[in-house]
Amino acid sequence: MQREHDPAVITAVTAALEASVNRALALAPVASRELAEMADTVLAIECTAPVITVYITITSMGTLQVSSYSEAKSSTRVRGAFEDFLTLATADDPAATLINSDLEIVGNTAPLLALQQIVTHMDLDWEAPLVDVLGDVAGHQLAQLLRGTFSWGKDASKSLRRQLSEFILEEGRLSPPAAELDAFYDDVQNLALRVDRLQSRLKRFAQKVGAR
Amino acid sequence: MTDHNRPSGDDQDTTHFGFTTVKTNEKEKLVRGVFDSVAGRYDLMNDLMSAGIHRLWKRFTIELSAVRPGQTVLDIAGGTGDLSARFSKLVGTDGKVILADINASMLQVGRDKLLDAGAFGNLHMVQCDAQYLPFPDNSVDCITIAFGLRNVTDKALALRSMERILKPGGRLLILEFSKPTNPLLEKIYDTYSFRILPMMGRLVANDEESYRYLAESIRKHPDQDTLMAMMEDAGFVDCQYHNMTGGIVAVHRGIKA
Repeated sequence: MQREHDPAVITAVTAALEASVNRALALAPVASRELAEMADTVLAIECTAPVITVYITITSMGTLQVSSYSEAKSSTRVRGAFEDFLTLATADDPAATLINSDLEIVGNTAPLLALQQIVTHMDLDWEAPLVDVLGDVAGHQLAQLLRGTFSWGKDASKSLRRQLSEFILEEGRLSPPAAELDAFYDDVQNLALRVDRLQSRLKRFAQKVGAR
Repeated sequence: MTDHNRPSGDDQDTTHFGFTTVKTNEKEKLVRGVFDSVAGRYDLMNDLMSAGIHRLWKRFTIELSAVRPGQTVLDIAGGTGDLSARFSKLVGTDGKVILADINASMLQVGRDKLLDAGAFGNLHMVQCDAQYLPFPDNSVDCITIAFGLRNVTDKALALRSMERILKPGGRLLILEFSKPTNPLLEKIYDTYSFRILPMMGRLVANDEESYRYLAESIRKHPDQDTLMAMMEDAGFVDCQYHNMTGGIVAVHRGIKA
């Protein structure tokens, strides 16, 4: 029996993904507890280009099992191209992204959105592993420092994005506003439809002239 | 004769031990010698020989097993317990994992490793021969044999023994070296097996001969389709296999009707 891809390669990807997510979850007890509430939920992620299906099973320990083969019934099956999944994974508003994207969803979307939210908003607790290694005093101080740095980093990143967007739109006038772009896309689509209709009319006209 | 009764030792048929022809009743002793010799450094050598890929092959085999909590799993030729450790978590406290191996040295290394990893409670160790499995009929949900079948003297007998103890609907998974699907890969693999592998055995385990046997035994093992036909002959249905790493390794799956 042949598969599209070597199972060892896909297994390497799923094993690496599982290890990194679970390592992060081990440092985020709240996220892990939230996940445990969805134990035994199976999500099937069916990528059409490249052709790979990955199953994500949530365990009662609040960890994820990522595999390329599962016989358990999936509560949600999502089908689409790799770029669509990437957009969804990094979206600030996953529900809107899911509705507007080309992803095809079968089953219950709630577990998928909950998982995306939990993983995106994981608040990593650096203190426990640092205290284990460095002791109470040094570990706590370093954890505080890391927390502050990450929190500042997140705020700084959001602020930078906002300012950059304002500069591109208002100061630099490098790009039109989103509403203007939407209107332009609508016009282009209308034009395309009108051209199609005109082409059909011309074809009919040519047939009539030919018949005479 | 039931599987529990072993034949007398006066059988003078021959079989292969790597590329050497030996008397059938001598092979078991010779294989035991190889694994007694490599047991202490088995895991290290597996990592070196496969560049760690054996972990991925085993992981995919576990995925195919679809083992659920509460089930009974028999890990034949389980050696140092890689599969058993994972199965122990999957079957949970209501399930049971039996780590079986013909070789006491391998079982001892496996037992120590599993205890060190905190895997116990639902784990049992049994020293037994895959050809004569000492378990009741229809008693096991899943059987795995990873890199062990090629060392078994009578593979057909072992497959029938496995089929006997599996519950109806239970599955057998055989992970074993096989035949590369690409001729170029086959040539590279031959060079690696017969030149580099024994050299690594000499350097790491100070045992060139045992690793030469491992390479030879792989070549004597049935290819993918032959093994699948043997499984069907033993009574398994819905048999299929997945090639991994270009067919260097294949995992076969069969279901007991």
